[in-house]
Amino acid sequence: MVHILENGEHFHADTREPEPEPEGFGSGFSINDHHDLLIEVLKRLDGRSLGAAACVCRQWCAIARNDSLWEHLCFRHVSPPPVGVRPVVSALGGYRRLYMVCVRPVLSRLKRRRLGGESEVVRRVWNQHEVELSLSLFCVEYYERLLVGGGRVAGDSPASSSLKFLCMPVNV
Amino acid sequence: MGPTPYNSSNSSSSACSSSTKPPPPQPPDQMDHLLAGAGYKVRSNDLTQVAERLEHLETVMVKSSPVDISDIGNDAVYYNPTDLASWVDSLLTELNPNGSGSGSGSGSGFVSGSGPAYVSDPVMNDMNNVYGEFGQQVVTPIEEDVSIRLVHVLMTCAEAVQRGDLSLAGLLIDDLQGLLGRVNSGCGIGKVGSFFVDALSRRVVNSPQNGVVQVDLSAYENEILYHHYYEACPYLKFAHFTANQAILEAFDGQDCVHVIDFNLMQGLQWPALIQALALRPGGPPLLRLTGIGPPSLDGRDSLREIGLKLAELARSVNVRFAFRGVAATRLDDVKPWMLQVSPKEAVAVNSIMQLHKLLGPGGPRGPPVDLVLDWIRDLNPRILMVVEQESNHNQPEFLDRFTESLYYYSTMFDSLDACTAQPEKTLAELYIQREICNVVCCEGSARVERHEPLVRWRERLTGAGFAPLHLGSNAFKQARMLLTLFSAEGYSVEENEGCLTLGWHSRPLIAASAWQAIPKPSVVTTGR
Repeated sequence: MVHILENGEHFHADTREPEPEPEGFGSGFSINDHHDLLIEVLKRLDGRSLGAAACVCRQWCAIARNDSLWEHLCFRHVSPPPVGVRPVVSALGGYRRLYMVCVRPVLSRLKRRRLGGESEVVRRVWNQHEVELSLSLFCVEYYERLLVGGGRVAGDSPASSSLKFLCMPVNV
Repeated sequence: MGPTPYNSSNSSSSACSSSTKPPPPQPPDQMDHLLAGAGYKVRSNDLTQVAERLEHLETVMVKSSPVDISDIGNDAVYYNPTDLASWVDSLLTELNPNGSGSGSGSGSGFVSGSGPAYVSDPVMNDMNNVYGEFGQQVVTPIEEDVSIRLVHVLMTCAEAVQRGDLSLAGLLIDDLQGLLGRVNSGCGIGKVGSFFVDALSRRVVNSPQNGVVQVDLSAYENEILYHHYYEACPYLKFAHFTANQAILEAFDGQDCVHVIDFNLMQGLQWPALIQALALRPGGPPLLRLTGIGPPSLDGRDSLREIGLKLAELARSVNVRFAFRGVAATRLDDVKPWMLQVSPKEAVAVNSIMQLHKLLGPGGPRGPPVDLVLDWIRDLNPRILMVVEQESNHNQPEFLDRFTESLYYYSTMFDSLDACTAQPEKTLAELYIQREICNVVCCEGSARVERHEPLVRWRERLTGAGFAPLHLGSNAFKQARMLLTLFSAEGYSVEENEGCLTLGWHSRPLIAASAWQAIPKPSVVTTGR
């Protein structure tokens, strides 16, 4: 159940959350008081919905930016999750950035090349090689920002040009 | 009737970009000077007719039974082909006594080609092959003619240059400028043609015996062009990723590793290796990187700066890292002691498009490449990674080099056309243009872009005491995946006896191979 939120907007995610109950009905349960529960729910979202969730309110924004959520998203269908990756990815800019800059374009590009399979499930399933390639590209991108910026790079700076090719429309 | 490429007064080329000036129309009675350059005398206004009748001759010869042809052979009557018109007439009457007399354009049995008519002379033999490369473009019939003529004139001009006939070459270059004006210079043959015309004209205009020396770019400008080439097309990325994968596998289980990079540039290859080493099971080794690069003339110590950035990255991911820069103008200036290789460490030598620069004229002790390969072998590396352009631009004859490079760079420009990002594309083209200029204009020690194909590198490296290492399936899969990420669908990765080649539409352009040094048999070393 979702109460009316801080800035007055209702949020209807395309998730399995129940419809918000009308005011005055319920038990006074607010998801915003139970972060771990909220995180469990958000863990099951796909990237786009997670991004949308971050736009709901400041609290959700802070929670949705939690890197472990994005880590879960990146490695959801790769088993076993690679060890030792976390400190590396954190150092290079974090999982959220990894997803935005590398994983999402790589997956969508690879999806276009596969025969059929438009479903969300197909999009999210990827293998070890693709993970490794994304990580390498991510590292190169971090390095390029180092070259340009000359110093510590903020996690939110725009992607450097090395990965432009991932974002260009596919010329099939 | 078929189109007429030799009718130079055909100005209905409005489909093309605006021309600067049309080629000067030749007086009809004069001999066509292009063919004159090749040794044939044909009047300009006869060209169409002669072309058609040569086509007819070919059809007749093909259709004739073998008996008829051998009759001609046994006759031992030789017609001088210099006067093309009468020569073809004579042959036609020999073969086809009932056949058409002169001037019957679309006679019976005459296949009026939908393609352009062409005159078969020696220079044209390669032309059709080259045109096949340009067949990808959608061109109007008029443009097609101009394109074919452009290639034909390019070849003739190159042949004139080879013969030393610079005055004819100069005339032809004027022709070429005119033709370029009539062709779409935004893509295809127009664009790559303009670079070749530019290079030829430089060669013709300032041609000392020793060849033109290219204007040197500053290291900074070089880096910019290189970086944009890196981004616009996948060739360098393919090279880096494949090399890293091979080096990673060669370093398996080693605790102290040392990579020697023959051309550091901005060190774009190494972050991915550092990250892969950081994540390898068992933890990262101690990584030493020695980067070789040109000395900086403007006070910046660029080698050191790159080393610092790489060290920062390595520190972020907890890989123990040490960097050393070696500044050298040429690779053969580097001496092994400068690299400070320790016997306990596993060494990898990485040469991305550098070895071909050593194939130039050597000193008294032999060609530079053999010396360098020798000291590489002395280092006993676990892997020597060689990535080179897959083409033969080092042939002794200028015309062969020219033809081959026209093929090669046309394909490369085709693949670049798939890149839509500016300014990457333009600067990448500039980078390639410098290569073209070096291959075409320069000679002697100034000509450094002496590309050789994989087969020759295999011979050379095996002869120098290296054994091939097969690049595994991981490298292949990674390369294929990398390519699917690029927007165009024309790239292809192929495996060739343990080496990987990346090409455009099945023409390989870059070849990557890995080698291992065979330790020298232990003999008593005499002083060198």
